[in-house]
Amino acid sequence: MKRLLYLMFIWTFLLAGCKSSRIVDQVQIIHAMGYDWRNGMYTGTAIYPTFKQGPMTKPDVLTTESSTTYDLIPRLSSKSALPIEEGKMRLVLFGKSFAKKGISEIVHSLARNNKVGSHLQLAVAKGDAEELLRITAKMTLSDMLYLSNLVEQNIREMNLPNTNLHIFLYNYFGKGRDPFLPYFEKKGNFVKLEGLALFKDDHYVGRIDLRQSFLVKMLLDETKNGVYQMPIAKQKQKGRVLLENLYATSKYSLKKGKEPVVDIRIHIRAVIRDYPIWLDLPNQQAFALVRKQMEKHLKKDISSLLLYFQKKEIDPLGIGDFVRSHTRHWNEKVFYEQYRQLTIRPHVKIDIVQTGIGE
Amino acid sequence: MSIFSFFLKRRKPNKPKTIAQLLQELKRSSDFVTLELQGSGHRFLLSYFDSLIDPKLLQQQVLCHLQRDVSNYPSLSVRDLQRIIPVQRIEITSDVQTVEMKLLRGFALIQLKHDDSCCALINLASDHLGLRQNNDSENEFSVVGPKVGFVENIGTNLHLLRRQVATPNLVFRELTIGTMSKTKVVIAYIDGIVHEQTLETVMQRVNDIEFDIVFDTSLLDQLLSDNSSSPFPSFVSTERVDRVVYALVGGQVAILADGSPYVITGPSTLFDFFTSPEDYYLPWVLGSFFRLIRMFGVMFSILASPIYVAVLTYHYEMIPKDLLGPIIFSRSNVPFSPTLEVLFLEITIELLREAGARLPTKVAQTLGIVGGIVIGQASVEAALTSNILLIIVSLAALASFTTPIFKMSNTIRFIRFPIIFFASFWGGVGIAFAICLLLIHLGRLQSFGNPYLVPLYPLRIKDFADSFIRSSYRLTAKRPSYLRPRTFWRYDPNKAKQKKDIDE
Repeated sequence: MKRLLYLMFIWTFLLAGCKSSRIVDQVQIIHAMGYDWRNGMYTGTAIYPTFKQGPMTKPDVLTTESSTTYDLIPRLSSKSALPIEEGKMRLVLFGKSFAKKGISEIVHSLARNNKVGSHLQLAVAKGDAEELLRITAKMTLSDMLYLSNLVEQNIREMNLPNTNLHIFLYNYFGKGRDPFLPYFEKKGNFVKLEGLALFKDDHYVGRIDLRQSFLVKMLLDETKNGVYQMPIAKQKQKGRVLLENLYATSKYSLKKGKEPVVDIRIHIRAVIRDYPIWLDLPNQQAFALVRKQMEKHLKKDISSLLLYFQKKEIDPLGIGDFVRSHTRHWNEKVFYEQYRQLTIRPHVKIDIVQTGIGE
Repeated sequence: MSIFSFFLKRRKPNKPKTIAQLLQELKRSSDFVTLELQGSGHRFLLSYFDSLIDPKLLQQQVLCHLQRDVSNYPSLSVRDLQRIIPVQRIEITSDVQTVEMKLLRGFALIQLKHDDSCCALINLASDHLGLRQNNDSENEFSVVGPKVGFVENIGTNLHLLRRQVATPNLVFRELTIGTMSKTKVVIAYIDGIVHEQTLETVMQRVNDIEFDIVFDTSLLDQLLSDNSSSPFPSFVSTERVDRVVYALVGGQVAILADGSPYVITGPSTLFDFFTSPEDYYLPWVLGSFFRLIRMFGVMFSILASPIYVAVLTYHYEMIPKDLLGPIIFSRSNVPFSPTLEVLFLEITIELLREAGARLPTKVAQTLGIVGGIVIGQASVEAALTSNILLIIVSLAALASFTTPIFKMSNTIRFIRFPIIFFASFWGGVGIAFAICLLLIHLGRLQSFGNPYLVPLYPLRIKDFADSFIRSSYRLTAKRPSYLRPRTFWRYDPNKAKQKKDIDE
């Protein structure tokens, strides 16, 4: 018994030599990875920091081309002095052409990779992913994570619905739902978030702007942030109000029958941040008017958004999934054949909690 | 029987047969003095070790009286000396063994010239000669509370205990241990609280000790411990009186030895090593907070550098994104692997500690500054270690000093190293494995047959009142049950709850 114990100890320490160590300063840690499809070849771009001279060092970019996506990272390795590690990757950016072609290879690989965390952000770039990543490569090290921080900031504070690898995979593999990703565009020397890229299965089919992505955010989950601008009119005066969401909930319900109807009840508690001077908001009448107009407007916007989804036959909201949870023997194929004709009725209720201090 | 038995055979010292032979033997030593006195027809032989007795006592109590009063006794016998000499303990004996023992303890021997078969032994030992008088508790300091500590003299130590525990139930049992040192060892306990079985175990273990010289109670600690190859100390050893009294009142047994300012108390649990007397002098909220800080400190001290090794060697994914830059940047010029880097710094700090402990206090301060600042800074500048590791290691060292019992803080210094090795070979899994081994070991440890990890394992929920947190005195009226005390209540909890304000 004791001998066995000693042997086990010896074994363990001998075996320990077999585990390859990845010492933090002896690996090339990729922070962001971009994929493009150009002229029949795949291009992979990796951004990695080198902390040699000081904190003001600029990150480096590695690019490589290949005819398949699988050997992009091994090919990058052949250009790098240190082994490439994707364990701290924060962002994977797809070029639009690549996204149109389908991202399933990368997604499946990411889903099985135990090194990357589920907080990894995926995104789509309007032009080439490489071009956008080269912009971030011009930043100093402290701004290295510019793009992923940008996404996270907008999720936390603004109109972008919550996305990351985990949510993407859920939407991707889940029945009755389609994935969506943040959509970037190059604007001069900056990168601008331009809304949501919509996917059908694994390929890009269209996009919506940031304003509409607030509606998606609201329809998906209860949210505590986001802003939305709406026109308002009183007699002949026209203007705009800026609504800031405090707490919005959406509730789905299904009326079964020959022609099923999905009702979405949205309840927004909001602040009116900015409104035209002529509007006398503390006035009860004006208040009711604004509220009514806003509800009507929002309802119209949501309806047109839903129509757009139906026309494209995509389901980023997971309405199919919702119906599935209320239907016995739900059939994905049958449901999406009738998806265009499905009646979805939004009902909006806005509670204006405050309009700021002052008279 | 083997051929080696010839070497191992115990040679019996040939013991002197008569007192005269004994004196002859003792005379080999130059500090053994034999005086021949004459007074009114009687002749005495006075023999003693000059180095052991108090000359003042000899003059005032013995010589003076002998010369003045002997004339009153025309036919003097040894027994008459008891009346002549005003010393508390005079023994009349003819046993050679006793005579030898007592002479070596600082007694003086008086023989009558005409009758040297029987002799008188007079206690002239100078108890305080050569011992320090100052009894501040030096190594276990507390800001609040008494600062009295034990000293090398066991008489003083017993006095200190007896003065605070004014009950006839406080029992001291004296034993002699050490074939050469013949050290007086006292086992103290409070009868009626301590569990008989525990006491029996202690008595039996102490009686069974076979050793030549007992330098300190820490020797006894090792000889008594249930598992002597464990790095964890089995018993608390302390120089603070209040700690010992608290242990006695809780139903533990204390062991004192002559010549040692440290007192062992046991059976101890792991928690005993992380409680400081100051916890009890501060309000319970503060006391608990500082105790928790101490425990956190211990965890940090054990785990900080292994986690650094594991994360930097295997799990770079775990490093927060904002910390990645500084860590890589500070490590980029270091030529060693994280393991070697950590070992280098840890051993440097151990060297500093060890050197600081051996050097005189004044020099040690200089060393602290030279070592701490100069070496630390220089090794970072020379790119031998990274900045961040320097902070981690020095924080861990700092945290290990919060343990109130020195023996435990040594243990914490030690067990960090195997965990570093586990971390370096196996990463995070290795740390988990090492912690498991540690917990298994702790769970198996015993102290005088009492589980070491109690009240955690075996679980004793009611005894948690004074473990992680030091509860208010309303809740600690009951003694901890794992010591199986004979009486449970320290004081009446209902009376303690009452507030005797005048306006009520």
